[in-house]
Amino acid sequence: MSSLSASNSHHKTGDLAVSVQNLGLTYTTAIDRRPTLKARVKSLGRGTKQTRVVQALDDVNLDVSYGQVLGVIGTNGAGKSSLMRTIAGIIPPTIGRIEVFGSVSTLLALGVGFNPAMSGRANVYLGGLAAGMSRAEIESHFDEIAEFSELGDAIDAPMRTYSSGMYARLAFSVAATVQPDILIVDEALSTGDAHFKEKSFNKIKELRSEDRALILVSHAMATLREICNDVAWLHKGKLVSRGNPDQVIDAYQDFLHLGKSSVIDEDL
Amino acid sequence: MSAPLQVYEPFRAGLPPLRKYWRSLWSRRTFIAEYSRSELREQHFDSLFGQLWLILNPLMLSAVYFLLIVIIGGSGGALRYGHLTASLFLFYLVSNSLSGGVKSVTAGQRLILNTAFPRMMLPISATVIAFFKFIPTLLVFMIIRTALGLPFGWEMLWSIPVILIALIFSLGVAILISTINVYFRDIASFLPYLIRTLLYLSPILYEASALKPKLRFFEHFNPLFSILESWSLSIVHAQAPQVSSLLVASAWAFGVLLIGTYFFLSREREFAVRL
Repeated sequence: MSSLSASNSHHKTGDLAVSVQNLGLTYTTAIDRRPTLKARVKSLGRGTKQTRVVQALDDVNLDVSYGQVLGVIGTNGAGKSSLMRTIAGIIPPTIGRIEVFGSVSTLLALGVGFNPAMSGRANVYLGGLAAGMSRAEIESHFDEIAEFSELGDAIDAPMRTYSSGMYARLAFSVAATVQPDILIVDEALSTGDAHFKEKSFNKIKELRSEDRALILVSHAMATLREICNDVAWLHKGKLVSRGNPDQVIDAYQDFLHLGKSSVIDEDL
Repeated sequence: MSAPLQVYEPFRAGLPPLRKYWRSLWSRRTFIAEYSRSELREQHFDSLFGQLWLILNPLMLSAVYFLLIVIIGGSGGALRYGHLTASLFLFYLVSNSLSGGVKSVTAGQRLILNTAFPRMMLPISATVIAFFKFIPTLLVFMIIRTALGLPFGWEMLWSIPVILIALIFSLGVAILISTINVYFRDIASFLPYLIRTLLYLSPILYEASALKPKLRFFEHFNPLFSILESWSLSIVHAQAPQVSSLLVASAWAFGVLLIGTYFFLSREREFAVRL
Protein backbone atom coordinates (compact mmCIF):
# COMPACT_ATOMS: atom_id res chain seq x y z
CA MET A 1 0.00 0.00 0.00
CA SER A 2 1.33 3.38 -0.86
CA SER A 3 2.17 5.68 1.91
CA LEU A 4 2.42 9.39 1.51
CA SER A 5 4.55 9.79 4.59
CA ALA A 6 7.13 7.37 3.32
CA SER A 7 8.84 9.81 1.00
CA ASN A 8 12.30 8.39 1.19
CA SER A 9 14.86 10.86 0.05
CA HIS A 10 15.81 13.53 -2.36
CA HIS A 11 15.28 12.58 -5.97
CA LYS A 12 17.36 13.75 -8.88
CA THR A 13 16.23 14.46 -12.39
CA GLY A 14 16.47 11.33 -14.46
CA ASP A 15 16.03 9.02 -11.50
CA LEU A 16 13.33 6.49 -12.11
CA ALA A 17 10.02 7.41 -10.47
CA VAL A 18 7.66 4.79 -11.84
CA SER A 19 8.48 1.67 -13.78
CA VAL A 20 5.63 -0.20 -15.42
CA GLN A 21 6.68 -3.56 -16.80
CA ASN A 22 4.58 -5.76 -19.11
CA LEU A 23 1.48 -4.60 -17.36
CA GLY A 24 -1.77 -6.36 -18.12
CA LEU A 25 -5.05 -5.71 -16.37
CA THR A 26 -8.22 -7.70 -16.74
CA TYR A 27 -11.17 -7.37 -14.46
CA THR A 28 -14.75 -8.42 -14.11
CA THR A 29 -17.31 -5.79 -13.52
CA ALA A 30 -21.04 -5.82 -12.96
CA ILE A 31 -23.22 -4.78 -15.88
CA ASP A 32 -25.78 -3.27 -13.52
CA ARG A 33 -24.66 -0.08 -11.94
CA ARG A 34 -26.33 -1.12 -8.74
CA PRO A 35 -26.52 -4.92 -8.69
CA THR A 36 -29.17 -6.26 -6.37
CA LEU A 37 -30.10 -9.65 -5.05
CA LYS A 38 -33.69 -9.01 -6.09
CA ALA A 39 -32.75 -8.40 -9.71
CA ARG A 40 -30.48 -11.44 -9.66
CA VAL A 41 -33.19 -13.72 -8.29
CA LYS A 42 -35.75 -12.39 -10.76
CA SER A 43 -33.49 -13.07 -13.72
CA LEU A 44 -32.64 -16.60 -12.53
CA GLY A 45 -32.87 -19.09 -15.34
CA ARG A 46 -32.98 -16.38 -17.96
CA GLY A 47 -29.35 -16.85 -18.73
CA THR A 48 -28.72 -13.12 -18.85
CA LYS A 49 -25.17 -12.13 -18.17
CA GLN A 50 -24.54 -10.26 -14.95
CA THR A 51 -20.91 -9.43 -15.43
CA ARG A 52 -18.57 -8.31 -18.14
CA VAL A 53 -14.88 -9.03 -18.44
CA VAL A 54 -12.85 -6.00 -19.36
CA GLN A 55 -9.34 -6.18 -20.76
CA ALA A 56 -8.26 -2.73 -19.69
CA LEU A 57 -4.49 -2.90 -20.22
CA ASP A 58 -2.41 -5.16 -22.40
CA ASP A 59 1.36 -5.42 -22.16
CA VAL A 60 2.09 -1.82 -21.26
CA ASN A 61 5.70 -0.82 -20.62
CA LEU A 62 6.29 2.67 -19.36
CA ASP A 63 9.01 4.35 -17.34
CA VAL A 64 8.55 7.74 -15.78
CA SER A 65 11.54 9.63 -14.42
CA TYR A 66 11.79 12.47 -11.95
CA GLY A 67 11.62 15.82 -13.64
CA GLN A 68 9.23 14.43 -16.22
CA VAL A 69 5.72 15.73 -16.76
CA LEU A 70 3.96 12.96 -18.59
CA GLY A 71 0.65 13.56 -20.33
CA VAL A 72 -1.49 10.51 -20.99
CA ILE A 73 -3.93 10.72 -23.87
CA GLY A 74 -6.34 8.36 -25.58
CA THR A 75 -9.98 7.94 -26.45
CA ASN A 76 -12.57 6.99 -23.85
CA GLY A 77 -11.97 3.46 -22.65
CA ALA A 78 -8.36 3.45 -23.78
CA GLY A 79 -7.23 2.37 -20.31
CA LYS A 80 -5.89 5.70 -19.06
CA SER A 81 -7.69 5.62 -15.74
CA SER A 82 -6.93 1.94 -15.26
CA LEU A 83 -3.24 2.65 -15.78
CA MET A 84 -3.36 5.47 -13.22
CA ARG A 85 -5.12 3.23 -10.71
CA THR A 86 -2.63 0.42 -11.08
CA ILE A 87 0.27 2.85 -10.62
CA ALA A 88 -1.43 4.23 -7.52
CA GLY A 89 -1.85 0.69 -6.18
CA ILE A 90 -5.62 0.88 -6.16
CA ILE A 91 -6.05 -2.07 -8.50
CA PRO A 92 -3.33 -4.74 -8.47
CA PRO A 93 -2.18 -5.84 -11.92
CA THR A 94 -3.29 -9.11 -13.50
CA ILE A 95 0.14 -9.64 -14.98
CA GLY A 96 3.34 -7.65 -14.97
CA ARG A 97 4.96 -5.54 -12.34
CA ILE A 98 4.92 -1.94 -11.21
CA GLU A 99 7.68 -0.32 -9.21
CA VAL A 100 7.14 3.03 -7.58
CA PHE A 101 10.12 4.98 -6.24
CA GLY A 102 8.51 7.64 -4.10
CA SER A 103 5.39 8.84 -2.38
CA VAL A 104 2.31 9.10 -4.56
CA SER A 105 -0.57 11.50 -4.32
CA THR A 106 -3.53 10.89 -6.56
CA LEU A 107 -6.43 12.88 -7.80
CA LEU A 108 -8.63 10.32 -9.47
CA ALA A 109 -12.39 10.46 -9.59
CA LEU A 110 -12.48 13.41 -7.19
CA GLY A 111 -10.93 11.64 -4.30
CA VAL A 112 -12.12 13.37 -1.18
CA GLY A 113 -15.56 13.04 0.25
CA PHE A 114 -15.23 9.84 2.12
CA ASN A 115 -18.41 10.40 4.06
CA PRO A 116 -20.79 13.11 2.76
CA ALA A 117 -22.39 13.52 6.18
CA MET A 118 -19.10 14.67 7.66
CA SER A 119 -17.52 18.08 7.27
CA GLY A 120 -14.91 18.87 4.65
CA ARG A 121 -12.37 19.10 7.44
CA ALA A 122 -13.13 15.60 8.78
CA ASN A 123 -13.03 14.21 5.26
CA VAL A 124 -9.64 15.74 4.53
CA TYR A 125 -8.27 14.20 7.72
CA LEU A 126 -9.78 10.80 7.03
CA GLY A 127 -8.59 10.80 3.44
CA GLY A 128 -5.08 11.74 4.55
CA LEU A 129 -4.97 9.08 7.26
CA ALA A 130 -6.20 6.48 4.80
CA ALA A 131 -3.44 7.50 2.41
CA GLY A 132 -0.95 6.77 5.16
CA MET A 133 -0.18 10.28 6.39
CA SER A 134 0.11 11.01 10.08
CA ARG A 135 -2.17 13.41 11.93
CA ALA A 136 0.67 15.88 12.34
CA GLU A 137 1.47 15.84 8.63
CA ILE A 138 -2.14 16.54 7.72
CA GLU A 139 -2.34 19.27 10.32
CA SER A 140 0.73 20.97 8.88
CA HIS A 141 -0.84 21.02 5.42
CA PHE A 142 -4.38 21.70 6.46
CA ASP A 143 -4.38 25.50 6.48
CA GLU A 144 -2.80 25.56 3.07
CA ILE A 145 -5.39 23.11 1.74
CA ALA A 146 -8.26 25.13 3.19
CA GLU A 147 -6.88 28.35 1.82
CA PHE A 148 -6.16 27.01 -1.65
CA SER A 149 -9.64 25.51 -1.94
CA GLU A 150 -11.19 28.93 -1.13
CA LEU A 151 -13.98 27.17 0.71
CA GLY A 152 -13.94 29.53 3.66
CA ASP A 153 -16.33 28.55 6.43
CA ALA A 154 -17.80 25.83 4.26
CA ILE A 155 -14.84 23.62 5.19
CA ASP A 156 -16.71 22.83 8.42
CA ALA A 157 -20.04 22.19 6.73
CA PRO A 158 -21.11 18.63 5.83
CA MET A 159 -19.83 17.68 2.38
CA ARG A 160 -23.31 16.78 1.18
CA THR A 161 -24.02 20.51 1.12
CA TYR A 162 -21.14 21.14 -1.32
CA SER A 163 -21.65 21.93 -4.97
CA SER A 164 -19.72 19.84 -7.48
CA GLY A 165 -17.34 22.73 -7.97
CA MET A 166 -16.62 22.88 -4.24
CA TYR A 167 -15.98 19.14 -4.21
CA ALA A 168 -13.57 19.49 -7.07
CA ARG A 169 -11.74 22.41 -5.50
CA LEU A 170 -11.22 20.61 -2.22
CA ALA A 171 -10.10 17.42 -3.96
CA PHE A 172 -7.59 19.28 -6.07
CA SER A 173 -6.29 21.22 -3.10
CA VAL A 174 -5.68 18.06 -1.10
CA ALA A 175 -3.85 16.29 -3.90
CA ALA A 176 -1.71 19.26 -4.90
CA THR A 177 -0.81 20.58 -1.47
CA VAL A 178 0.66 17.50 0.20
CA GLN A 179 3.98 17.78 -1.70
CA PRO A 180 4.18 14.25 -3.08
CA ASP A 181 7.14 12.91 -5.04
CA ILE A 182 4.78 11.66 -7.70
CA LEU A 183 1.48 13.35 -8.46
CA ILE A 184 -1.13 11.64 -10.59
CA VAL A 185 -4.03 13.76 -11.80
CA ASP A 186 -6.82 12.21 -13.83
CA GLU A 187 -8.90 14.66 -15.83
CA ALA A 188 -9.36 16.99 -12.95
CA LEU A 189 -7.67 20.10 -14.28
CA SER A 190 -10.78 21.38 -15.92
CA THR A 191 -12.95 21.39 -12.84
CA GLY A 192 -14.29 24.41 -11.08
CA ASP A 193 -14.94 27.82 -12.53
CA ALA A 194 -12.61 29.75 -14.81
CA HIS A 195 -10.84 31.31 -11.88
CA PHE A 196 -10.09 28.03 -10.15
CA LYS A 197 -9.22 26.35 -13.42
CA GLU A 198 -6.57 28.99 -13.96
CA LYS A 199 -5.40 28.64 -10.39
CA SER A 200 -5.08 24.87 -10.53
CA PHE A 201 -3.35 25.10 -13.89
CA ASN A 202 -0.80 27.45 -12.37
CA LYS A 203 -0.41 25.19 -9.36
CA ILE A 204 0.44 22.27 -11.63
CA LYS A 205 3.00 24.42 -13.42
CA GLU A 206 4.44 25.37 -10.07
CA LEU A 207 4.65 21.73 -9.04
CA ARG A 208 6.78 20.92 -12.07
CA SER A 209 10.17 20.57 -10.55
CA GLU A 210 13.25 18.49 -10.98
CA ASP A 211 12.63 16.26 -8.02
CA ARG A 212 9.03 15.49 -8.82
CA ALA A 213 7.21 13.45 -11.42
CA LEU A 214 3.78 14.44 -12.68
CA ILE A 215 1.41 12.25 -14.62
CA LEU A 216 -1.58 14.02 -16.11
CA VAL A 217 -4.50 12.40 -17.87
CA SER A 218 -6.41 14.88 -19.95
CA HIS A 219 -8.39 15.49 -23.09
CA ALA A 220 -7.32 19.11 -23.12
CA MET A 221 -4.60 18.94 -25.74
CA ALA A 222 -3.63 22.58 -25.50
CA THR A 223 -2.97 22.19 -21.79
CA LEU A 224 -0.89 19.09 -22.33
CA ARG A 225 1.15 20.76 -25.07
CA GLU A 226 1.90 23.55 -22.69
CA ILE A 227 2.65 21.68 -19.49
CA CYS A 228 4.09 18.31 -20.47
CA ASN A 229 7.56 17.42 -21.64
CA ASP A 230 6.48 13.91 -22.58
CA VAL A 231 3.25 12.35 -23.80
CA ALA A 232 2.05 8.74 -23.91
CA TRP A 233 -0.83 7.68 -26.12
CA LEU A 234 -2.91 4.71 -25.11
CA HIS A 235 -5.38 2.95 -27.36
CA LYS A 236 -7.49 -0.06 -26.38
CA GLY A 237 -5.21 -0.89 -23.50
CA LYS A 238 -1.99 -0.72 -25.47
CA LEU A 239 0.67 1.93 -25.54
CA VAL A 240 0.64 3.29 -29.10
CA SER A 241 3.42 5.83 -28.90
CA ARG A 242 5.35 7.90 -26.49
CA GLY A 243 7.63 10.88 -26.83
CA ASN A 244 7.67 14.53 -27.77
CA PRO A 245 4.31 16.10 -26.84
CA ASP A 246 3.73 17.89 -30.14
CA GLN A 247 4.54 14.86 -32.25
CA VAL A 248 2.45 12.41 -30.25
CA ILE A 249 -0.48 14.76 -29.93
CA ASP A 250 -0.38 15.56 -33.65
CA ALA A 251 -0.38 11.86 -34.47
CA TYR A 252 -3.26 11.30 -32.08
CA GLN A 253 -5.28 14.10 -33.61
CA ASP A 254 -4.61 12.79 -37.11
CA PHE A 255 -5.78 9.41 -35.90
CA LEU A 256 -9.00 10.95 -34.69
CA HIS A 257 -9.43 12.52 -38.16
CA LEU A 258 -9.96 15.79 -36.48
CA GLY A 259 -6.91 17.65 -37.49
CA LYS A 260 -6.04 20.59 -35.38
CA SER A 261 -9.59 21.71 -34.90
CA SER A 262 -10.10 24.26 -32.25
CA VAL A 263 -12.66 22.12 -30.46
CA ILE A 264 -10.16 19.48 -29.43
CA ASP A 265 -7.53 21.99 -28.50
CA GLU A 266 -9.86 23.77 -26.22
CA ASP A 267 -9.58 23.19 -22.55
CA LEU A 268 -12.97 21.61 -22.11
CA MET B 1 19.57 3.82 -7.47
CA SER B 2 17.40 3.28 -4.43
CA ALA B 3 15.11 0.30 -4.05
CA PRO B 4 11.49 0.80 -5.07
CA LEU B 5 9.25 2.05 -2.31
CA GLN B 6 6.31 0.10 -3.61
CA VAL B 7 6.03 -2.91 -5.85
CA TYR B 8 2.69 -3.97 -7.22
CA GLU B 9 2.45 -7.47 -8.58
CA PRO B 10 -0.40 -9.85 -9.36
CA PHE B 11 -1.96 -11.50 -6.33
CA ARG B 12 -1.06 -15.05 -5.59
CA ALA B 13 -4.10 -17.32 -5.18
CA GLY B 14 -6.28 -14.24 -5.32
CA LEU B 15 -4.98 -12.90 -2.01
CA PRO B 16 -2.86 -9.81 -1.39
CA PRO B 17 0.53 -10.35 0.28
CA LEU B 18 -0.74 -10.86 3.82
CA ARG B 19 2.17 -9.66 5.89
CA LYS B 20 2.37 -6.42 3.99
CA TYR B 21 -1.38 -6.12 4.31
CA TRP B 22 -1.46 -6.51 8.10
CA ARG B 23 1.45 -4.16 8.51
CA SER B 24 -0.25 -1.55 6.40
CA LEU B 25 -3.50 -2.09 8.32
CA TRP B 26 -1.72 -1.67 11.65
CA SER B 27 0.02 1.51 10.51
CA ARG B 28 -3.38 3.02 9.77
CA ARG B 29 -4.91 2.39 13.17
CA THR B 30 -5.23 6.15 13.68
CA PHE B 31 -7.63 6.16 10.76
CA ILE B 32 -9.84 3.65 12.53
CA ALA B 33 -9.78 5.70 15.72
CA GLU B 34 -10.40 8.98 13.91
CA TYR B 35 -13.17 7.51 11.78
CA SER B 36 -14.98 6.09 14.77
CA ARG B 37 -14.70 9.38 16.59
CA SER B 38 -15.99 11.40 13.65
CA GLU B 39 -18.82 8.97 13.07
CA LEU B 40 -19.90 9.04 16.71
CA ARG B 41 -19.69 12.82 16.70
CA GLU B 42 -21.72 12.88 13.51
CA GLN B 43 -24.43 10.77 15.15
CA HIS B 44 -24.23 13.03 18.21
CA PHE B 45 -23.16 10.25 20.53
CA ASP B 46 -20.56 12.52 22.00
CA SER B 47 -23.28 14.58 23.64
CA LEU B 48 -25.17 13.73 26.83
CA PHE B 49 -28.50 13.27 25.07
CA GLY B 50 -26.91 11.21 22.35
CA GLN B 51 -25.54 8.83 24.95
CA LEU B 52 -28.87 8.86 26.71
CA TRP B 53 -30.59 7.78 23.51
CA LEU B 54 -28.09 4.99 23.12
CA ILE B 55 -29.17 3.61 26.46
CA LEU B 56 -32.84 4.56 26.24
CA ASN B 57 -33.39 2.68 23.02
CA PRO B 58 -32.51 -0.83 24.25
CA LEU B 59 -33.92 0.03 27.68
CA MET B 60 -37.32 0.82 26.25
CA LEU B 61 -37.16 -2.28 24.09
CA SER B 62 -36.40 -4.40 27.11
CA ALA B 63 -39.33 -2.79 28.95
CA VAL B 64 -41.64 -3.66 26.05
CA TYR B 65 -40.41 -7.24 25.85
CA PHE B 66 -40.61 -7.60 29.62
CA LEU B 67 -44.25 -6.55 29.49
CA LEU B 68 -44.79 -9.10 26.75
CA ILE B 69 -43.16 -11.87 28.75
CA VAL B 70 -45.09 -11.05 31.90
CA ILE B 71 -48.40 -10.87 30.10
CA ILE B 72 -47.95 -13.94 27.91
CA GLY B 73 -45.73 -16.03 30.11
CA GLY B 74 -47.16 -14.82 33.37
CA SER B 75 -43.78 -14.76 35.04
CA GLY B 76 -41.64 -11.81 35.94
CA GLY B 77 -38.95 -11.24 38.46
CA ALA B 78 -35.68 -9.40 38.81
CA LEU B 79 -33.60 -12.17 37.26
CA ARG B 80 -35.84 -12.30 34.24
CA TYR B 81 -35.60 -8.60 33.68
CA GLY B 82 -31.86 -8.56 34.25
CA HIS B 83 -31.39 -11.37 31.73
CA LEU B 84 -33.53 -9.62 29.15
CA THR B 85 -31.72 -6.29 29.47
CA ALA B 86 -28.20 -7.68 29.50
CA SER B 87 -28.91 -9.96 26.54
CA LEU B 88 -30.46 -7.14 24.53
CA PHE B 89 -27.46 -4.93 25.18
CA LEU B 90 -25.01 -7.54 23.89
CA PHE B 91 -27.31 -8.36 21.00
CA TYR B 92 -27.19 -4.69 20.03
CA LEU B 93 -23.41 -4.88 19.80
CA VAL B 94 -23.73 -7.54 17.12
CA SER B 95 -26.65 -5.93 15.32
CA ASN B 96 -25.04 -2.46 15.34
CA SER B 97 -21.91 -3.97 13.91
CA LEU B 98 -23.96 -5.64 11.18
CA SER B 99 -25.98 -2.58 10.26
CA GLY B 100 -22.94 -0.31 10.42
CA GLY B 101 -20.75 -2.75 8.52
CA VAL B 102 -23.12 -3.47 5.67
CA LYS B 103 -22.57 -0.18 3.86
CA SER B 104 -19.07 0.51 5.13
CA VAL B 105 -17.37 -0.47 1.88
CA THR B 106 -19.92 0.91 -0.57
CA ALA B 107 -20.10 4.21 1.32
CA GLY B 108 -16.33 4.62 1.10
CA GLN B 109 -16.56 4.55 -2.69
CA ARG B 110 -14.80 7.83 -3.42
CA LEU B 111 -11.94 7.01 -1.11
CA ILE B 112 -11.61 3.50 -2.52
CA LEU B 113 -11.50 4.81 -6.09
CA ASN B 114 -8.81 7.35 -5.25
CA THR B 115 -6.56 5.95 -2.57
CA ALA B 116 -4.72 2.71 -2.00
CA PHE B 117 -5.29 1.46 1.54
CA PRO B 118 -6.31 -1.80 3.16
CA ARG B 119 -10.06 -1.74 2.62
CA MET B 120 -10.62 -3.85 5.71
CA MET B 121 -10.21 -0.66 7.73
CA LEU B 122 -13.79 0.19 6.82
CA PRO B 123 -15.70 -2.76 8.37
CA ILE B 124 -13.25 -2.77 11.30
CA SER B 125 -14.23 0.83 11.99
CA ALA B 126 -17.89 -0.18 11.92
CA THR B 127 -17.27 -2.74 14.65
CA VAL B 128 -15.24 -0.29 16.71
CA ILE B 129 -18.13 2.17 16.50
CA ALA B 130 -20.57 -0.53 17.61
CA PHE B 131 -18.28 -1.31 20.53
CA PHE B 132 -18.12 2.33 21.60
CA LYS B 133 -21.89 2.37 21.57
CA PHE B 134 -21.92 -0.79 23.70
CA ILE B 135 -19.72 0.51 26.54
CA PRO B 136 -22.21 2.95 28.10
CA THR B 137 -24.96 0.32 28.03
CA LEU B 138 -22.69 -1.97 30.00
CA LEU B 139 -22.31 0.65 32.70
CA VAL B 140 -26.05 1.17 32.79
CA PHE B 141 -26.58 -2.55 33.18
CA MET B 142 -24.30 -2.57 36.20
CA ILE B 143 -26.53 0.06 37.81
CA ILE B 144 -29.66 -1.85 36.87
CA ARG B 145 -28.42 -5.14 38.26
CA THR B 146 -27.45 -3.44 41.52
CA ALA B 147 -30.91 -1.90 41.74
CA LEU B 148 -32.50 -5.28 41.03
CA GLY B 149 -30.45 -6.83 43.81
CA LEU B 150 -28.87 -9.50 41.61
CA PRO B 151 -25.99 -11.45 43.18
CA PHE B 152 -22.42 -10.28 42.60
CA GLY B 153 -19.47 -12.65 42.32
CA TRP B 154 -16.05 -13.22 40.81
CA GLU B 155 -17.67 -15.43 38.20
CA MET B 156 -18.94 -12.26 36.59
CA LEU B 157 -15.42 -11.74 35.24
CA TRP B 158 -16.20 -14.51 32.76
CA SER B 159 -18.16 -11.88 30.91
CA ILE B 160 -14.90 -10.30 29.71
CA PRO B 161 -13.86 -13.21 27.47
CA VAL B 162 -17.49 -13.46 26.39
CA ILE B 163 -17.44 -9.82 25.26
CA LEU B 164 -14.22 -10.54 23.38
CA ILE B 165 -15.80 -13.50 21.63
CA ALA B 166 -18.85 -11.37 20.79
CA LEU B 167 -16.54 -8.69 19.38
CA ILE B 168 -14.70 -11.17 17.20
CA PHE B 169 -18.00 -12.50 15.95
CA SER B 170 -19.27 -8.95 15.30
CA LEU B 171 -16.14 -8.13 13.34
CA GLY B 172 -16.50 -11.30 11.30
CA VAL B 173 -20.10 -10.58 10.31
CA ALA B 174 -19.30 -6.92 9.58
CA ILE B 175 -16.49 -7.92 7.22
CA LEU B 176 -18.63 -10.60 5.58
CA ILE B 177 -21.69 -8.46 5.05
CA SER B 178 -19.71 -5.46 3.78
CA THR B 179 -18.31 -7.68 1.02
CA ILE B 180 -21.71 -9.13 0.13
CA ASN B 181 -23.12 -5.62 -0.13
CA VAL B 182 -20.67 -4.77 -2.93
CA TYR B 183 -22.25 -7.51 -5.03
CA PHE B 184 -25.83 -7.15 -3.86
CA ARG B 185 -26.57 -3.58 -2.91
CA ASP B 186 -30.01 -4.38 -1.53
CA ILE B 187 -28.70 -6.68 1.18
CA ALA B 188 -29.16 -3.84 3.70
CA SER B 189 -32.92 -4.02 3.21
CA PHE B 190 -32.90 -7.71 4.15
CA LEU B 191 -30.94 -6.99 7.26
CA PRO B 192 -33.88 -6.06 9.56
CA TYR B 193 -35.46 -9.46 8.86
CA LEU B 194 -32.23 -11.24 9.58
CA ILE B 195 -31.69 -9.31 12.80
CA ARG B 196 -35.29 -9.91 13.92
CA THR B 197 -34.99 -13.63 13.26
CA LEU B 198 -31.72 -13.82 15.17
CA LEU B 199 -33.29 -11.93 18.05
CA TYR B 200 -36.12 -14.45 18.42
CA LEU B 201 -33.94 -17.51 17.87
CA SER B 202 -31.45 -16.40 20.50
CA PRO B 203 -31.91 -16.80 24.25
CA ILE B 204 -32.95 -13.21 24.90
CA LEU B 205 -36.70 -13.33 25.50
CA TYR B 206 -36.18 -16.71 27.19
CA GLU B 207 -33.33 -18.30 29.06
CA ALA B 208 -31.17 -20.87 27.32
CA SER B 209 -31.84 -23.37 30.11
CA ALA B 210 -35.59 -23.13 29.49
CA LEU B 211 -35.21 -24.68 26.06
CA LYS B 212 -36.32 -28.27 25.39
CA PRO B 213 -33.33 -30.61 24.78
CA LYS B 214 -34.71 -31.39 21.33
CA LEU B 215 -34.65 -27.75 20.30
CA ARG B 216 -31.31 -27.19 21.94
CA PHE B 217 -29.60 -29.32 19.35
CA PHE B 218 -30.65 -26.94 16.61
CA GLU B 219 -29.31 -24.00 18.54
CA HIS B 220 -25.79 -25.16 17.74
CA PHE B 221 -26.53 -23.66 14.35
CA ASN B 222 -27.33 -20.29 15.85
CA PRO B 223 -23.97 -18.58 16.31
CA LEU B 224 -25.34 -16.24 18.94
CA PHE B 225 -26.85 -18.93 21.14
CA SER B 226 -23.71 -20.01 22.98
CA ILE B 227 -22.40 -16.47 23.21
CA LEU B 228 -25.60 -15.17 24.79
CA GLU B 229 -25.99 -18.21 27.02
CA SER B 230 -22.49 -17.71 28.47
CA TRP B 231 -23.09 -13.98 28.70
CA SER B 232 -26.28 -14.30 30.72
CA LEU B 233 -24.80 -16.93 33.03
CA SER B 234 -21.75 -14.84 33.84
CA ILE B 235 -23.06 -11.31 34.02
CA VAL B 236 -26.64 -11.86 35.21
CA HIS B 237 -26.44 -15.01 37.29
CA ALA B 238 -22.80 -14.51 38.37
CA GLN B 239 -22.06 -18.14 37.48
CA ALA B 240 -19.22 -19.61 35.46
CA PRO B 241 -20.39 -20.46 31.95
CA GLN B 242 -20.00 -24.00 30.62
CA VAL B 243 -16.71 -24.65 28.92
CA SER B 244 -18.50 -26.40 26.05
CA SER B 245 -20.59 -23.27 25.45
CA LEU B 246 -17.52 -21.07 25.43
CA LEU B 247 -15.83 -23.42 22.98
CA VAL B 248 -18.79 -23.48 20.62
CA ALA B 249 -19.05 -19.70 20.86
CA SER B 250 -15.34 -19.25 20.08
CA ALA B 251 -15.53 -21.71 17.20
CA TRP B 252 -18.37 -19.75 15.67
CA ALA B 253 -16.69 -16.40 16.23
CA PHE B 254 -13.31 -17.37 14.82
CA GLY B 255 -14.91 -19.38 12.04
CA VAL B 256 -17.01 -16.45 10.87
CA LEU B 257 -14.05 -14.07 11.17
CA LEU B 258 -11.82 -16.40 9.18
CA ILE B 259 -14.37 -16.99 6.42
CA GLY B 260 -15.29 -13.32 6.32
CA THR B 261 -11.66 -12.22 6.13
CA TYR B 262 -10.85 -14.70 3.38
CA PHE B 263 -13.92 -13.68 1.42
CA PHE B 264 -13.10 -10.00 1.87
CA LEU B 265 -9.43 -10.27 0.94
CA SER B 266 -10.06 -12.43 -2.09
CA ARG B 267 -12.62 -9.94 -3.38
CA GLU B 268 -10.96 -6.73 -2.30
CA ARG B 269 -9.12 -6.35 -5.60
CA GLU B 270 -12.45 -6.04 -7.39
CA PHE B 271 -13.92 -3.36 -5.14
CA ALA B 272 -12.48 -0.48 -7.14
CA VAL B 273 -14.07 -1.71 -10.37
CA ARG B 274 -17.34 -2.85 -8.82
CA LEU B 275 -18.25 0.36 -7.05
